[in-house]
Amino acid sequence: MISTDSDPTNPGEDGRTHHLDVYERRWMIASVALLVVFAASVAVAGFGLGFQVPGHESRVDPNTVADSPPWNNPGLRDLGNGEYEVYVIGRQYLFEPNEIRVPVGATVTFYVTSVDVQHGFKLQDTNINMQIVPGHISKLTRTFEKAGEFPYICNEYCGLGHASMAGSLIVEAQGG
Amino acid sequence: MAIIEQEPSIAALPSGAARTAAKPLGAFSRPRNPVGLKNWLTTVDHKKIGIMYGTASLFFLLWGGIPALLLRLQLARPNQGLLSGAAYNQIFTMHGTVMIFLVVMPMGAAFANYLLPLQVGARDVAFPRINAFSFWVFLAGGIMLNTSWFLGGGANGGWFNYAPNNGITYNPGVGIDFWNVGLLIAGIGSLTGAVNLITTVLNMRAPGMSWMRMPIFTWMTLVTQFLLLFAIPVLTVAQLLLLFDRRFDGNFFNVDQGSDPLLWQHLFWIFGHPEVYLMILPAFGIVSEVIPVFARKPIFGYPFMVFSGIAIGFMGWGVWAHHMFVSGIGPLSVTAFAVATMFIAVPTGVKVLNWLATLWGGKLILNTAMLFSIGLVTQFTLGGLSGVSHAVASADTQQTDTYYIVAHFHYVLFGGALFGFYSGLYFWFPKAFGYKLNEKIGKWNFWSMVVGFNLTFGPMHILGLQGMPRRMQTYDASQGFNTWNMVATIGSFILGVATLSILYNALVSYRAWRRAGRPDVGPDPWDARSLEWSIQSPTPEHNFDVSPTVTDLDDFWHHKYQEDDNGVLRRIATGKEVAQPGNGEGVHLPAPSYWPLVLALSFPLIGYGLIFSLWLCIPGVVLLITALYGWSLEPADDLDDDHGHGDHHERELVGANG
Repeated sequence: MISTDSDPTNPGEDGRTHHLDVYERRWMIASVALLVVFAASVAVAGFGLGFQVPGHESRVDPNTVADSPPWNNPGLRDLGNGEYEVYVIGRQYLFEPNEIRVPVGATVTFYVTSVDVQHGFKLQDTNINMQIVPGHISKLTRTFEKAGEFPYICNEYCGLGHASMAGSLIVEAQGG
Repeated sequence: MAIIEQEPSIAALPSGAARTAAKPLGAFSRPRNPVGLKNWLTTVDHKKIGIMYGTASLFFLLWGGIPALLLRLQLARPNQGLLSGAAYNQIFTMHGTVMIFLVVMPMGAAFANYLLPLQVGARDVAFPRINAFSFWVFLAGGIMLNTSWFLGGGANGGWFNYAPNNGITYNPGVGIDFWNVGLLIAGIGSLTGAVNLITTVLNMRAPGMSWMRMPIFTWMTLVTQFLLLFAIPVLTVAQLLLLFDRRFDGNFFNVDQGSDPLLWQHLFWIFGHPEVYLMILPAFGIVSEVIPVFARKPIFGYPFMVFSGIAIGFMGWGVWAHHMFVSGIGPLSVTAFAVATMFIAVPTGVKVLNWLATLWGGKLILNTAMLFSIGLVTQFTLGGLSGVSHAVASADTQQTDTYYIVAHFHYVLFGGALFGFYSGLYFWFPKAFGYKLNEKIGKWNFWSMVVGFNLTFGPMHILGLQGMPRRMQTYDASQGFNTWNMVATIGSFILGVATLSILYNALVSYRAWRRAGRPDVGPDPWDARSLEWSIQSPTPEHNFDVSPTVTDLDDFWHHKYQEDDNGVLRRIATGKEVAQPGNGEGVHLPAPSYWPLVLALSFPLIGYGLIFSLWLCIPGVVLLITALYGWSLEPADDLDDDHGHGDHHERELVGANG
């Protein structure tokens, strides 16, 4: 079953060349095949299935962004048809606004930026997790099908008050 | 040691005959203490330098471990006030920085320094004085970094110190400056060490040791040194930019002036991801040496092990942005880096399966060294699997900045790198010190580490998936994190005691060995395969009596075992019979020198100057220039010394290399 050059105690007949064991060769082929499968699955997920990552919307000047519309009035905008936009500013160590209320079924697009250091915007129990970089606007969209309270927290370390930087998104039942 | 090397009179030393008149001003004799503190301070012997790297690393393991226990105490229960927010932030930053730069990296350097020349059959590294300098400058940087605790507080921006939180506006204290300058200095040691070890492998292999006959540890160390050589400069660039920002009003990361803080993130992770691999590859090398010895089989798929290591070395450069999946780099970048990250999991997975195939069908000897190696294989694999889940970008956006990440990198760095290093410590201890570590304590050491480790970091997977963010000083009881945090804290104390028990083991083993009259452990106590076992234990100062000639992979093994006419493997000699006797007549070794230490001391002086007052830089620079001149004027060989062999050599001028 095992050829002579696959004797496990001998690396090669004369020791000068390294013969490939038949199992070794098969294993190498299998691992290359694995590589192809892995890469293909990631590519399909990334390009084919519409995977949404935090998008870089545009750049702003962090010195003045809080003074000009729409950021001078952060919060919710009702666009009609159940669509909403919400503008959130992160600063050491709070979110403006720190409470957002939307009805069930709302499709909400989050625009988030920072006016000082880097922060995070993680909406717990959802797939929304964005790093907030001063000078950049990060954007993500999600539809909220169920009522409930989703805390949003800063999860990019931002300094002394990092642990207490949080807010809350409340999805209200229809008519509630 | 001589600013101007004194010319020895022709018929003078060491025959004892007439020495010439008084030394000219500025001429000093070189250090010649064979033992004692001064010997350690001036040695250029790669083995002693390796031991010093290891000792420093173990010290910093303790030094970085105590803060870790404080962090766990603070998080044991919700809403605790043991550590203030300010203290907590400094402690987690310094814990990470110390463990990465002053524990794992120097431990890799310790094994590389001690073993690499032995495994390639050389008498020392290519540049022995630079080797000493590498160690001292690493130690100087490491100590300087930690003096921040007494001079204004540690760094508090996380080990990654993202901009602009690392800027003077948001972080006016000196902690970040110490982090910056201390690591800049320690980085010099990494660079010079890398050049040194690469040159050693390229130029100083024994006759017949072709590339594909090099032990896998040597291969992995070589890849590691190339990673260091190219990764450290990226961090150095980033840190110099930060230094200019903080000390000289630069604007590289100043958002107010329109700069983009993502620049720091990219620079840091282009360094930071190869860093991950250069921390784990030495441990992979160690395990690849230990497993074949105690499975009584050659390593399965030697060329594949080598090429997968090289592949990791190359691919490690193309995955950095998977640290930045949620930073808004866009879907195309995210997918590209996700694919690259999947790719790099493959050579790593290949290694794991090759270790398993080496174990398969072997006659396993489950001693402590072997257990730690198997511990690496199992626990690194767990960490690798959570790592693959980071490569899936859609999952990673959930995991980013949660305790799931903390669990992952402790599984690969503690369960991986540190378990590998412990395996190496138990395995090569008799080679370095002449006696084995106690097996019974060793097994307690191993099993208590496994239990403590998994209790500490296993629950963090769950906490992370529950949404517990990293770097939080505390949490609320209502968040549901209570139970697992308590479990992790209990585990961390088991782990702390377990990790330290190796020191107790060394003490007990040494005493037993001394009581038994210091018996000779022999050159080859494990019936091993590579060249370092073909010389006496502890390693003679000159390593090899004669340069070995290599005709095989695992050459030493083939001197002990050969096939008989029926193709059955038979022992033809014991290790003791084929080992070199260690008498080494007439071997010339590089002479010790003061200059590496002096040169290394000038750097922290300049560093303190950059932080506190530029005037302090002046004596630092003067010392630096003096040391460089003294070094370059000093001959590599000490002309007055007979090297302890009584073979007085007439003033042969040796090329001043090293």
